[in-house]
Amino acid sequence: MRRVALVASLLALFALAWAWVASLDSVDDLLVASPDETWKALNDDWSLLIDNAWTTLHEVLLGLATSIALGVVFALAMHLSRTLREAAYPLLVASQAVPIVVLAPIFVLAFDYGIGPKIAIVTLICFFPITVNVLDGLRSVDPGQLTLMRAFGASRIRTLRSVELPAALPSFFSGLRIAATVSVIGAVFGEWAGADEGLGRLVLLGNDQLQTPRVYAGIVLLTLMAVALFALASLAERLICPWTREERTA
Amino acid sequence: MTATPLVDAARTRRRAPFALLLLCALAVAVAVALAGCGEKRDKLGPGATRELELMLDYFPNADHAGIYAAQAGGEFRRAGLDVQIRQPPSPAAPINQVAAGRVDLAISYEPEVLRARDKGLNVVAVAAIVRRPLTSIISLPKAGIRSPKDLEGKTVGTAGIDYQTSYLRTILEEADVDPASVKQRDVGFSLVPALLSRRVDAVLGGFWNYEGTELAQKRRDPRIIRVDDAGVPRYDELVLVANEDALERDDSELRAFIGALARGTRALEKDPDEAIKGLLEANRDLDPKLQRAVVKKTLPLFLPVDGRPFGYLDGAAWHRFAAWMRDHRLVSEIPDASGAFTNRLLPGESL
Repeated sequence: MRRVALVASLLALFALAWAWVASLDSVDDLLVASPDETWKALNDDWSLLIDNAWTTLHEVLLGLATSIALGVVFALAMHLSRTLREAAYPLLVASQAVPIVVLAPIFVLAFDYGIGPKIAIVTLICFFPITVNVLDGLRSVDPGQLTLMRAFGASRIRTLRSVELPAALPSFFSGLRIAATVSVIGAVFGEWAGADEGLGRLVLLGNDQLQTPRVYAGIVLLTLMAVALFALASLAERLICPWTREERTA
Repeated sequence: MTATPLVDAARTRRRAPFALLLLCALAVAVAVALAGCGEKRDKLGPGATRELELMLDYFPNADHAGIYAAQAGGEFRRAGLDVQIRQPPSPAAPINQVAAGRVDLAISYEPEVLRARDKGLNVVAVAAIVRRPLTSIISLPKAGIRSPKDLEGKTVGTAGIDYQTSYLRTILEEADVDPASVKQRDVGFSLVPALLSRRVDAVLGGFWNYEGTELAQKRRDPRIIRVDDAGVPRYDELVLVANEDALERDDSELRAFIGALARGTRALEKDPDEAIKGLLEANRDLDPKLQRAVVKKTLPLFLPVDGRPFGYLDGAAWHRFAAWMRDHRLVSEIPDASGAFTNRLLPGESL
């Protein structure tokens, strides 16, 4: 309850500061929309916004699902093979440094138009935090447990299943929470590389047509989407590995 | 105590790996299932024979109203074409994709076509979409810029495109203003925001029909200097570009496309308010008021001058512009505009 009140008052403070900046005479009101203009755009353009939000959410969820699958597989492979880990880690980091503007046309070539390139860009951005976190989780196992498994004569797979994977679960969720937050940015970039619909395109076109309130309304929805995905990832963590919470509170 | 805490912990966690594997499996399943239903291919309609891909120069807007009017009015379909309209993944994409044979046609700009030819890309302009320059210098009344002479000592924002920087140079020289007295600032593609936030006194690169109309509708009273009124030789702002190899191979399709586009543009001329619906219905996020106003302003430039076929490219003007580009070292390999354009595919024009 106290947390909700804190968040609400901080949000109110932010809205006040925003309204103040928007009301300044030196700021052209075509460039900055006020909170109430944004609220009005949310109401007036609701059907347009929500249709586009569904498109973007679709891209985000598909991209997230793909990056979970890829991220966990990559992390496992790199954990099991030291050679692969040493070879692939620099490439993994490099994958995050390539500007999207360069990649977008390549993705369009590879996946044609439609949803393909958007999923690819979301995946590219999201698999990284998942892979790195799961890999760290797998490697962070208490050496005592590994010694114990070895003493019991457990196989590599058995150790992985009973000790390492469970130990990596909390890290996996840390990665997933980061991925869920940035996935929305990925979808927006993806849509900027050419889309027929979606909030990213709506924001881009709105910007070009000086429809600043609509742009802000789109950003509000994108933000809500990211927060909701983050909350869902936290909820999933609580359901699937409740002990991390117990350990934290203990 | 029957078990050590370590073993106890391991027991509690036994369910976990399965949960993780299950989650992965689920993720893959969802990805596959959704990707499957996301793959929506437009089916060929009855009678449609040939699929043709057209890449726009920018996101869909009023400058493309004729194309969308032809699409919505069924002109392409009746001409035996199934036209896919694509947006460019990057500004350089339209010409590059045509050169690479990845799309059949693209909308680009005359200077871009000449430069592409200069770099050895085999692209050819086959029709004019907008047969005059649209690029302008736009300022707000406060800056007090009525003519190019007033640019002295001012800051001008540009998109950092080299030939537009040369436009500015030409305009200043024409007005006897020392180019060194004018500060140029690269503001990327945020020309209007740079202007409104007063970071610059004027911007060069916006279109008088688009940004000009937009600012006028928002009551900002823009002052506009069209580049071709200030010394830059006339050129075709938007042109339809095809691959040189396709000129022979797809002769009849390209001809059919331009013919259908001409009919779509005529429909736009006859009843702009009705024909623009093609554009607006395909792109619900466009501002109808703005797009309608821009179409009305641009309509005369979509249409050819009297006695010329739709899409006519003025050879003499192309050569003059190419010579200007050579003077400004924007091109160096090509001697003139020969081969960069052809009127052969226009309605009523033949070999």
